[in-house]
Amino acid sequence: MIELKNVTRRFGDTVAVDNINLTIETGEVCVLVGSSGCGKSTTLRMINRLLPHSAGNILVDGEDIAAMNPEQLRLNMGYVIQGTGLFPHWTVARNIAMVPQLLKWPRDRIDARVNELMTLLDLDPTVHANKYPQQLSGGQAQRVGVARALAADPNILLMDEPFGALDAITRENLQMEMLRIQKQVRKTTVFVTHDIDEALKLATRIAVMDRGRIIQHDTPENILRHPASEFVENLVGKQDRGLKLMSLRPVRELMNPHRGPKRADPGVEGLREEDSIRLALSVMLWRGLQEVSVFNAHGEETGVITRERIIREGA
Amino acid sequence: MPVSRTLQRRIAPNRVIPVLAGLALLVVWSLDFGTIQPNRIVPGTGHGLLSATGWFGAGAVTLVLAASMLLSVLPLGVRYVPLLGLVGLSLAMLPLLLEVFAARHLPEGAPYARSAIGAGFWCLLFLLSLVLIEILGRLRSGRGLQILLLVSIGGSWLLLLRGDGLESLSLVREFNARPDQFEQALWTHLALAFGAVAISACVAFILALKMIRSPGWQRPILGAVSFLQTIPSLALFGLLIAPLSALAAAFPFLETLGIRGIGWAPAMLALVAYSLLPMLRNTFVALTEVPDNLVDAGRGMGMNERQLFFQLKLPLALPVIIEGVRITTIQAIGLTAVAALIGAGGFGAFIFQGLGQAAMDLVLLGALPTIALALMADAVFTMLAASLRPTPATA
Amino acid sequence: MRVWLPPLVLAALLCGLSAGMPALEPFFQWVQPDKQRVIYERDSFLFLLQNHLLLVVISAAVGTIAAVAGGVFATRPSGRDFLPLVSQVASIGQTFPPVAVLALAVPVLGFGEAPILVALILYGLLPILRNTLAGLESINPAVREAGLGMGMSPFQVLLRVELPLAGRVILAGIRTSVTINIATAAIGSTIGARTLGDPVIAGLVNGNTAYVLQGAILIGLLALTIDSLFEALERTWDHRFSPQGAA
Repeated sequence: MIELKNVTRRFGDTVAVDNINLTIETGEVCVLVGSSGCGKSTTLRMINRLLPHSAGNILVDGEDIAAMNPEQLRLNMGYVIQGTGLFPHWTVARNIAMVPQLLKWPRDRIDARVNELMTLLDLDPTVHANKYPQQLSGGQAQRVGVARALAADPNILLMDEPFGALDAITRENLQMEMLRIQKQVRKTTVFVTHDIDEALKLATRIAVMDRGRIIQHDTPENILRHPASEFVENLVGKQDRGLKLMSLRPVRELMNPHRGPKRADPGVEGLREEDSIRLALSVMLWRGLQEVSVFNAHGEETGVITRERIIREGA
Repeated sequence: MPVSRTLQRRIAPNRVIPVLAGLALLVVWSLDFGTIQPNRIVPGTGHGLLSATGWFGAGAVTLVLAASMLLSVLPLGVRYVPLLGLVGLSLAMLPLLLEVFAARHLPEGAPYARSAIGAGFWCLLFLLSLVLIEILGRLRSGRGLQILLLVSIGGSWLLLLRGDGLESLSLVREFNARPDQFEQALWTHLALAFGAVAISACVAFILALKMIRSPGWQRPILGAVSFLQTIPSLALFGLLIAPLSALAAAFPFLETLGIRGIGWAPAMLALVAYSLLPMLRNTFVALTEVPDNLVDAGRGMGMNERQLFFQLKLPLALPVIIEGVRITTIQAIGLTAVAALIGAGGFGAFIFQGLGQAAMDLVLLGALPTIALALMADAVFTMLAASLRPTPATA
Repeated sequence: MRVWLPPLVLAALLCGLSAGMPALEPFFQWVQPDKQRVIYERDSFLFLLQNHLLLVVISAAVGTIAAVAGGVFATRPSGRDFLPLVSQVASIGQTFPPVAVLALAVPVLGFGEAPILVALILYGLLPILRNTLAGLESINPAVREAGLGMGMSPFQVLLRVELPLAGRVILAGIRTSVTINIATAAIGSTIGARTLGDPVIAGLVNGNTAYVLQGAILIGLLALTIDSLFEALERTWDHRFSPQGAA
């Protein structure tokens, strides 16, 4: 758990972060979102003490970080930044092994961990381990950056616009990847972005920041449904909030379930329970359907979702 | 927000100037400020700051340094403009201290007695110059101001050195003993250095065009000129003596032209050889690194090759070529001084003559103008390159 | 391994020639028929070579340590204020001709090996300093930030990340510095340092071209040997630290 209590950061006369309070529960993904210069990166960098805070307290698992050794603190926090920051003179494997090496793990344990992480991030160790960062594509390099941050199994993951410099398709892939990995490892994550769609997709809770203050701190759904101010309303997009809400909710929530899972008829196409309602509507519009079958992870049909119910209750 | 940021930075104390000024205070009070020599060769007796310039001079120096320390740490809105005035004026007036020194200590009725500059004075000059550089850097001053400052400080020095008060300074004595030789040395030095630069510029241009037309020649040509650059100057001068004297012996009419084993001929040859690498490298890079899309754009708009070269490539390449000329000229001015060892003349002759006679101020009479020439060449070519740059450089 | 062949061959040639110069007497007799003595004998060539090399090595070592320390200081947060001045001095200083610096050292420090060593160190420091600054400044800030953010101490970042990344540029600076210093040390024999410049100066003073030639050849060979040594070092560095096929 990370707690920020009345935290302020001044640069000379300018106040970059103005008396903010924020609690990030263990295992949740908190996304700080706002336009550039709003203080979101500053907030992140205060958590691992890359910047000192001017006033207030920051507690990690109840302990004040000001009293901790900054290196020890950071060794327990994975850190991913835009443009990766991979060391160009080290191979991919050595980059990933960086923190375990600093922690003086035994050689074979490091090797095993590097292999495990590369596999987790969909990088073939036999192909990529001995490459240098310059030889990777942008997406691959960022995967290595994430692997490096996860290497010593830190409790906390700090991510500063990690996907900001990537093209739209690669970014989308990595976002999906991150959701998948987060489901497996459950790290307390603080994620900084200026992209509200990225925030809505990844966050368990979003903190909207503007001019050094936190305007609203809530779940994505509440941010969409009950924006705290006009600023937030504009940020999430007044007009297409309905569609954004639909993309947050899984089909499971609106389907008419069968009494029990049915064996699917061969050849029938449909949606999965965790697909978004937005996707369901899109499929129906495109195919001209009034309803679509929904399947669970085992491929059994568990219910049906109808166009009429989406229109009525979708947002 | 940016406004308050800059204000903040202006008011923030400067930590560099106090360090430099403190260092200056330390050395100026601990080292000999000047010496009085009974004649040209005998080493003289040293005088510290207080003994040399009295309470008034020592107080003035200390006050200036302390004031610049204070000005740089006090929380002031305008810090660097008064500092610039203070330090600039002090630098311009520095020879006055030598004048005071001579007036206080030079024995009456001893025509050979002379005053010489001590380490303390040199260190003070050096550290004050550093302070000036720091101030100019913080002010983000334009070239114009820098040149103006340099010219007025230099002018004030010349004026004071030519005046009666410093007639006893041994550096001035050495100059007064040989004004004609000095002038001759200046012209010889300039002729050798700039002659070599001009010749190498032509040769380098031809070689660069050759390298562009036939890329196969790039490696051998660049290899050869970098090889030449590696050979130390003394060795190259030495190696040229034997073949040139053999040549002169075989063809006596060459000797009447002045082409001999020693003298200007081997010096010029060696200088040209050294100048080739920086000149060629910059010319080649300048001409080949004109962005392809610009050339394509020009061609697409209907320029022919000739127009492309003169209206696009050359103007874009010129600043880089001038940069090559700058490096080459500075190098040639320094090497010309070495060429005095093989009898080519120039300021180097004073240096080596002075070293031979253990007459330190003759050494200075050779070394200081050489440095001045190099600094002036640097300033002139830097300005030229800046003015030729197609887009005005900001900041 | 092949990169080390040229420096080895040149070094062998240099030592062989220094030791066996008297064997070439007939050749120099032919060059300089009108002199009794055609082989420089005041000091042995090996001694001069050793002395010359020692001056260059000491000045390079001290200069490198001082310049890298200075460059590191000026790029740390605590020394940032000094960065503009230090880089200005590094570039303005290089416009001073080395001979003039050498000459200026004499009035201050007198004749002999001490002033030349000081002049060599001071002058040789500048290209190394300049390259150290350039190398450290060219490192992507994200790399430094990542190192710190992952829990490296500032010292570890410097040692494991910044210096290795800037190393190649620093090495090039040392090469420039050593090349200049070999030449300047040779001229140093005019101020009483005993280097391979001695035979050249003696030959010039006495009009003995044979002496000049002996000194010049050895100085030239020394310069080429050291230069090829650096060439080999740089190649090895490139091979070791940068990936094959990467830009």
